[in-house]
Amino acid sequence: MQKINKNVVLALLSLTSLVFLLFQLYYYKFYLSQKNGAVFSKVRGSQSGQDSTRWHVVRKFLGLISSHNIPVYLIDPLILGLVDKDIEQIRSSPDGPTPECKYFCAPRDFTTFALLDKTWKHEVGLFRTAEKMGFQWLKIINKDPRLDGMDDLSGIEIPLHYIFKLASHAIHLVVFYERSGNYLWHGPLRLKQHMDRKFVPFRKLHFGRYPGAYEKPELLLVSIDDLKVQIPKNPSSFLEEMSHSRFLECRYREARAFFQLYPDDASLDAVEFRKKAKSLLHLAALTLNNLGVKFWLSSGTCLGWYRQCNVIPHSKDVDLGVFIKDYKADIIPAFQKAGLPLKHKFGKVEDSLELSFQGEDDVKLDIFFFYEEDDHIWNGGTQAKSGKKFKYLFPKFTLCWTEFVELKVHVPCETRQYVEANYGPDWKVPVKVWDWKSSPSNVQYNGVWPVNEWDDVIQIY
Amino acid sequence: MDEWKPNPAIKPHKKRSWYLAWKYKLMNQRALRKLCQTGAVLFLLVTVIVNIKLILDTRRAAYEEEEESAQDYDDEMLNVEVPRHPVSNKKVLDVEVYSSRSKVYVAVDGTTVLEDEAREQGRGIHVIVLNQATGHVMAKRVFDTYSPHEDEAMVLFLNMVARGRILIFTIKDEGSFHLKDTAKNVLKSLGSQVAPFLSWRDMWTFVGKKGGEVYGEKHAKSPALSTWGDPVLLKTEVHLTSVEDAECRWPDTELNRRRKRFCSKVEGYGSVCSCKDPTPIEFNPDPLKDNKVFDVPVAVIAGNRPNYLYRMLRSLLSAQGVNPQMIIVFIDGYYEEPMDVVELFGLSGIQHTPISIKNARVSQHYKASLTATFNLFPDAKFAVVLEEDLDISVDFFSFLSQSIHLLEEDESLYCVSAWNDQGYEHTAEDPSLLYRVETMPGLGWVLRKSLYKDELEPKWPTPEKLWDWDMWMRMPEQRKGRECIIPDISRSYHFGIVGLNMNGYFHEAYFKKHKFNTVPNVQLKNVESLRKDAYEAEIHRLLGEAEVLDHSKNPCEDSFVPDTEGRVYVMFIRMEQEADFTTWTQLAKCLHIWDLDVRGNHKGLWRLFRKKNHFLVVGVPASPYSSKKPSSVTPIYIEPPAKEEGAVAVPAVAAAEQT
Repeated sequence: MQKINKNVVLALLSLTSLVFLLFQLYYYKFYLSQKNGAVFSKVRGSQSGQDSTRWHVVRKFLGLISSHNIPVYLIDPLILGLVDKDIEQIRSSPDGPTPECKYFCAPRDFTTFALLDKTWKHEVGLFRTAEKMGFQWLKIINKDPRLDGMDDLSGIEIPLHYIFKLASHAIHLVVFYERSGNYLWHGPLRLKQHMDRKFVPFRKLHFGRYPGAYEKPELLLVSIDDLKVQIPKNPSSFLEEMSHSRFLECRYREARAFFQLYPDDASLDAVEFRKKAKSLLHLAALTLNNLGVKFWLSSGTCLGWYRQCNVIPHSKDVDLGVFIKDYKADIIPAFQKAGLPLKHKFGKVEDSLELSFQGEDDVKLDIFFFYEEDDHIWNGGTQAKSGKKFKYLFPKFTLCWTEFVELKVHVPCETRQYVEANYGPDWKVPVKVWDWKSSPSNVQYNGVWPVNEWDDVIQIY
Repeated sequence: MDEWKPNPAIKPHKKRSWYLAWKYKLMNQRALRKLCQTGAVLFLLVTVIVNIKLILDTRRAAYEEEEESAQDYDDEMLNVEVPRHPVSNKKVLDVEVYSSRSKVYVAVDGTTVLEDEAREQGRGIHVIVLNQATGHVMAKRVFDTYSPHEDEAMVLFLNMVARGRILIFTIKDEGSFHLKDTAKNVLKSLGSQVAPFLSWRDMWTFVGKKGGEVYGEKHAKSPALSTWGDPVLLKTEVHLTSVEDAECRWPDTELNRRRKRFCSKVEGYGSVCSCKDPTPIEFNPDPLKDNKVFDVPVAVIAGNRPNYLYRMLRSLLSAQGVNPQMIIVFIDGYYEEPMDVVELFGLSGIQHTPISIKNARVSQHYKASLTATFNLFPDAKFAVVLEEDLDISVDFFSFLSQSIHLLEEDESLYCVSAWNDQGYEHTAEDPSLLYRVETMPGLGWVLRKSLYKDELEPKWPTPEKLWDWDMWMRMPEQRKGRECIIPDISRSYHFGIVGLNMNGYFHEAYFKKHKFNTVPNVQLKNVESLRKDAYEAEIHRLLGEAEVLDHSKNPCEDSFVPDTEGRVYVMFIRMEQEADFTTWTQLAKCLHIWDLDVRGNHKGLWRLFRKKNHFLVVGVPASPYSSKKPSSVTPIYIEPPAKEEGAVAVPAVAAAEQT
């Protein structure tokens, strides 16, 4: 066979490689410009210093909504992050002209604003004007969760998200609703079948993957990049809130099915107990929130929420969970001040801590402290007369917001696993006889407290 | 390429580049050179492979992203979009109309749009209105022209129907007994040949276009007084017109778009659909200064009486200080027409699946509506509760705005109501006067959220209990001795004649003569004296200045009260204990006010007007105000009539009446 000159081969290879390199570069550019991707924009942005398209789109949008007297506020995490760094300066000079476009030109796909539902009428005129200005818009509606818990009400679908697109930039307008429990809620973004899936890269939206719950923010009117906008007064705490704002709706449909099988106890006793449990829970939430202690619904109260969206009338107490790292010595005096004397205290901060407070008329508030291990979380129990210790194991979980008896509270996001760990696979069947030492399916015997520690770890009042 | 082996012994190619020559010279070491060359080749190969892989990856990722981009956000629920029946392009409708003693039906293109074979029901002339362009049913009515005045209602209705609509008539059982000439002439003007001669138990069907052609008419005469005419079946064809011809040419505005949608669907609302001069659907009444109820939600409780709802919403939206955004209409059942009315006015409406029957259904609807209202407006401390058969006075919100703070501050109050049970034309006089009463009048009232959420909602009567929600609310277990504030002259007017517990006779006797305030911006005068203790002082002052009437006269006679104006009179009736209303009931009866149960009392005292004089009635000795009775006066006692009158049965009906 004829010998091939190695140099020819070398040259050929170099050439191919070069062609590929060029092709790759071209493809990269083509793909990204089509996708309007952040990476490429970043490159361009950093080169030119600023990009005014986004600024112009935002300005147009703000003009549009102010011409219809619709009060929106900025909740874009990227911009708020930038704003937060200069917050002092921005606050002190609300009208000062800015030398360069620092915030609204920052590279991103969307600018996100929030709108409080009750502050505007659902005018069709807004969208007409928007179209005239060149915006394309998309409205995402869904069922009103505030009516979901009710028997067979229909008729109302509410707007949850709006997206206004102009040129290569889009404005995401999240509609917030006030709900019982004095908080704001926004819905998930779910596309209906006929909707344009490529209207914007939906996955990159900062809001909408899950519904979210927020406190009502205090707003501040500022001028950034020569645009007047409202922003949350404290952007960093808003961003912090946003990072764990995920909201779980109660499973109303399943709850209704449950009540079909096991009709609700409508006796006067049940009504009375629920009323007391509700006010106790409200008081406990107020006290713990004032201390800044994060808590969640645990045990029977959590089961009641998950299974029937209500307090279980025969449960006789209210159960809360708190991570031991959030424990504060002030908890006991704070509850006492709120009119809930300590009933008993079991365990110690290092091990199996549990507090019980005496509410009105025999309704008891139990606070269990949870200890995190590598692959599980546990809380402890103590039998007063024998000093025996018990351990209740749970798979790891994160916390979500929910609404329960007109209160915004935390529950484990992985509620089912949590409830199942505690109550076993038959948690759907109401049980009236319950022994906390043997009934839970996640209980483990955990030894006995040394007798010399008893005075400390078993305190009964 | 495997064959290729670097062979340094070979003579370098003549045309090799200077670069290689230079390299060759530079590293004239065999091993090193070989290594470099192999390295370079390998490097190039790897670059090529990596490049190819990268391209493939990006492409796949891009593809997947497109696929997935929305997947995450897909609505979990299957989009059950029922394919709409394409509006048939057919220009001709087949219409079948049947009339007989016990059954009527109407079928349009094979679809039955009316069928009534229920016994003891649906007597009279059934009227159906079709849209002349689409063939859709726009209205369905039945006028029992066997009974008096129903023919007038039919004439009114037919006059409201727009020109060009298709009208279908059919008689069930009997439809001529009270069909007067006016009505017959209207039917004749529509093209009916038979209508003027319709007589006892005739069967009749007619299809025609208003102000246009007649598509068919059939008639069967009754042979004798005791028998009915033979059943008749009319089959005919109706030619459809184009949509443009069937619609009015209103200027294209948001409001008119709503109007157009409404008017192409339903009929019987008169001038709102008039092409030339349509009545407005937006009212913009004057705003109220310092309106304390602007943010209070207004729940309108409705059933399937769309014409009532229409009238009610018109008056509500015309009241000064109304905030349309706070209004929600709750419709008991999946009825379309009430929802059309709600949408016409641009309000929000919620439909509620009916639960249970009769009174319990109403009561469940109330519960769902109230719960929903407080869920939708979690900030609200109050809700205004209205019903679809009420007119709302122009100063309704002004009245509430001036009095609502009492409900917030005075624990002894149960509600503020716009309705005075005893406020008839001849017994109410002062629009600026308020009372405290122990009964819960309803018919336009304000509910405190805490009362609802903490007390009423948890123990609201369950669906299997056939209770009236208002009777239940009046029970001592719920009311707990609290009182309601009411005006002397009602701020609402109950115009409903058809209803669960309502009929024409009942309405005429108890509601028609009710006084209704029409004066705007009334300044209430004694608001602060309505608080618990202040009110007692006020009553004592009143009783102190009141002139005692002559107790020897008959209190039912007009002459019992002197012919004066603006005086305060008091009379004393016998009332042995707190629940003894024997004399009061008889007095109420002869005064022609509400006598079906006890209303409007405050500690054994009733306040009303007679001949423009304030007229106080004190029950002795049960009332704490008995001490004001001069010792010379003997309380009046009126003997109740013998029991056969059915006095027991009537209150049972009346009990539920206000729903």
